[in-house]
Amino acid sequence: MSRADAPPPLERTLEAVDLVAYAGATWDWHRMHYDVTFGKERELPAPVVDGQMFGALIAAQVMGWAPPGSFLTELELRYTSMVFAGDTIRVDANIIGQDGSDVELAHEVVVGDRSVATGRTRVVLPPRST
Amino acid sequence: MARTLLTHGAEAMIGTEVSYTSPEPLGRALIRYFAMAVGDLNPVYLDETAARRAGFDDVIAPPTLVCETNQFAGVRPWDESGYIGHVWDLGLEGCRLIRGENRYRFEQPVHPTDVVTATWKLAELTEKTSGSGLAMLVVRSVCTYTNQNGSLLATNEDVVIHVEISA
Repeated sequence: MSRADAPPPLERTLEAVDLVAYAGATWDWHRMHYDVTFGKERELPAPVVDGQMFGALIAAQVMGWAPPGSFLTELELRYTSMVFAGDTIRVDANIIGQDGSDVELAHEVVVGDRSVATGRTRVVLPPRST
Repeated sequence: MARTLLTHGAEAMIGTEVSYTSPEPLGRALIRYFAMAVGDLNPVYLDETAARRAGFDDVIAPPTLVCETNQFAGVRPWDESGYIGHVWDLGLEGCRLIRGENRYRFEQPVHPTDVVTATWKLAELTEKTSGSGLAMLVVRSVCTYTNQNGSLLATNEDVVIHVEISA
């Protein structure tokens, strides 16, 4: 596996229904994720995407790219800007290190040209895949 | 001048630990629901045969699912925010919440039969002021997730920021 073999970008438009589905799946019924009036009272222009959803999408990007049997061991995320319902995010990934079956990747989540989160993952590939 | 969010009461809570044990196993339905909500239809989450072929004992949960502790619904009554999961009661009225960081470590695959216990520790409180002069309180917590055998599944270092709402 070379650095040119990085996972392809993952792009997703996060509509209100996506926020509601994620809120339901995580039992997170906080109104900031769907209640427009609640958000406006708190100076938020629209329902807020749960930042941890970026972690789930980065995990999807890595696990969809790595061979079956791979195991994600680390995922770090730093959130730099809020994302709102209707935004289209793109997750870019680069391989930044490899030690045998242990691969380290850097990720950036962007909305247009605005960086909204940066991350790092480490995945262990199954035997005979490197 | 920004108000003070780091009260003596909040400071006294540093080091506090609290545990929540799910009343039931994680279950295949929650795993499938989470995978669908994320749009991540990896067969190892959905198809037992594919999961076994990949070397797992059963379907596994998408990695971050175990760290979404709200699965322990009913930790506390609904408040006006609608949130029912874990929070530290730091007396922070008139603030909004911003997520800062998450650092997950996944120790082993999580299966539908795992009964998860989440143990939260309040690690650090740091007061800051935003560029626009608003008071902020940075809350750093560490959560460990174990199963019914006491086996460590994952850890999550979680940073959230409470920012006062401007007048």
